[in-house]
Amino acid sequence: MAEAAAREIKKPLPQMTPLNQPFWDGARNGRLIMQRCKDCQSWVWCPRPVCGECGSDRLEWTELSGRGKIFAFTVIREVVGRALRGFAPDIPYVTAWVDLDEGPRFCSNIVGCPIESVHIDMPVEVVFHDAGEGVTLPKFKPRS
Amino acid sequence: MSLRGKAAIVGIGETPLDRLGSKPGEPRKSTAEYLAWATRIALEDAGLSHKDLHDQGLAAIYTTNHSQPFWPEEVASIIGFTPSVALAGGNGGASSVSLLGHAAAMIAAGVVDLILVVAAAAPFSEHGRTRAEPMDTRDFEMPFGVMGPNCKISFVKSRYMYESGMTDDHFGKIAVTGRYHATLNPNAYLRKPLSVEDYKNSRLVSDPIRLFDCVLPANGGKAYIMASPQRAKSLRKPPVWLLGWGERENPTAGPRYRANPLITGIRECADSAFKMAGVTHKDIRCLNLYDDYIPIVMLQIEDLGFCKKNDKDFFEKTDFTFKGDLPIQTSGGMINCGQPSTTGGMLHVIETVRQLRNEGGERQVPNLKFAIATGLGAVNYGKNFGCTAAAILGNEV
Repeated sequence: MAEAAAREIKKPLPQMTPLNQPFWDGARNGRLIMQRCKDCQSWVWCPRPVCGECGSDRLEWTELSGRGKIFAFTVIREVVGRALRGFAPDIPYVTAWVDLDEGPRFCSNIVGCPIESVHIDMPVEVVFHDAGEGVTLPKFKPRS
Repeated sequence: MSLRGKAAIVGIGETPLDRLGSKPGEPRKSTAEYLAWATRIALEDAGLSHKDLHDQGLAAIYTTNHSQPFWPEEVASIIGFTPSVALAGGNGGASSVSLLGHAAAMIAAGVVDLILVVAAAAPFSEHGRTRAEPMDTRDFEMPFGVMGPNCKISFVKSRYMYESGMTDDHFGKIAVTGRYHATLNPNAYLRKPLSVEDYKNSRLVSDPIRLFDCVLPANGGKAYIMASPQRAKSLRKPPVWLLGWGERENPTAGPRYRANPLITGIRECADSAFKMAGVTHKDIRCLNLYDDYIPIVMLQIEDLGFCKKNDKDFFEKTDFTFKGDLPIQTSGGMINCGQPSTTGGMLHVIETVRQLRNEGGERQVPNLKFAIATGLGAVNYGKNFGCTAAAILGNEV
């Protein structure tokens, strides 16, 4: 058992940085948070030191509802690149751009439903997955 | 300062492309050898010798599998000269077209009167280190199993199909046109004729992206040489002039946290390039567009302003072959000629020069005066290309 686990190829995990740490801390606590500009109210995603619209550094981590719709998606059928070999056992699986109700677009996986049922505009909601080593990945499932 | 007519391309060099090293025991060449080889061909083409490069300029494009932070200097040491200015192509597939403008500006300012632009990569024969990834890719895409550009352009294609109603018949027509031109190009790699049915039967690698939507990785090297007007007029081949040019880095259509992925930065590049060149769309009779994927070729035709967005009717009615209404991808594109990593975009500059010199052989666009080459690099999180550039070239000023 231990030998088999050692042979298992690991999936890449995010590199924690001072810039993105609050996001991953939030996810571990079951909260989806992103930066928002206190000057122009724009969302900022992915994490940045300043607002991409107005350049302000007055950014505030803000919680989102975790609800959104699929904007675009793909079914992954082949591994490309050595760094991603750990995903081979999961194929086929769905990655998607989810447009969150508050505005930002989030790239994630659609889980908890047959691949054939996934479609653009499908309402989805966040579900938090423990990826090991203290990392929690926000994924999305169909919203009833 | 306008760059119109301030510099010309006077030499082009293209090594044969190969995939040597994909099987064990095959004879292989290194990136350094492709660099030197492409340079030699470009110098010969221009009627220049190695010593003419002395004290002139160099521009080198970073490659994903080989480059280190001092790359332009290492390229100078590989080729064996001492440039008095070194430019770096640091925007991936857009570099070859970006550098047209950067090199022309240096020449126009009088810093040098020749610049060698050279690039090579050998992803099959030299297995480099694990590449460094942009932080968004590393932290917010790879952990979710995003399989690089195949996956990200699949998002774009799925949305494009949804919004425009384009089907695999539309994409297939573009694929077939490119392959048809490849059958007429002795330097192309894939030269067997392709039908729309073949395209539609090719396997899905990342729905809705099919195998025949995708570029073909290869080993190879390419080079072009730019010169001042005075120098250009005294060389072996007729000059091909840079008339219009535009570059946009980190472009966005709409807010950055939720951009429209169906509009590329090529739209603004084209605005700059047309303004500088002083020509209209009717004057342009050949487009060599960055083609890592088939749907991206179509988005660029729209963004360059040759039709409306989502213009199904235009794509159905237009003949895109070299004898047709709007010839595109006259070399066959990287999809059929091969893409040596981030240096692949050189193909489109080189093919545009060939066409404007009337050296297109069996695929020559008749009576060509003006043509466009584009470059794209870095597929950004939640949108499309982070690096974009477009140039209008012509055989008269």
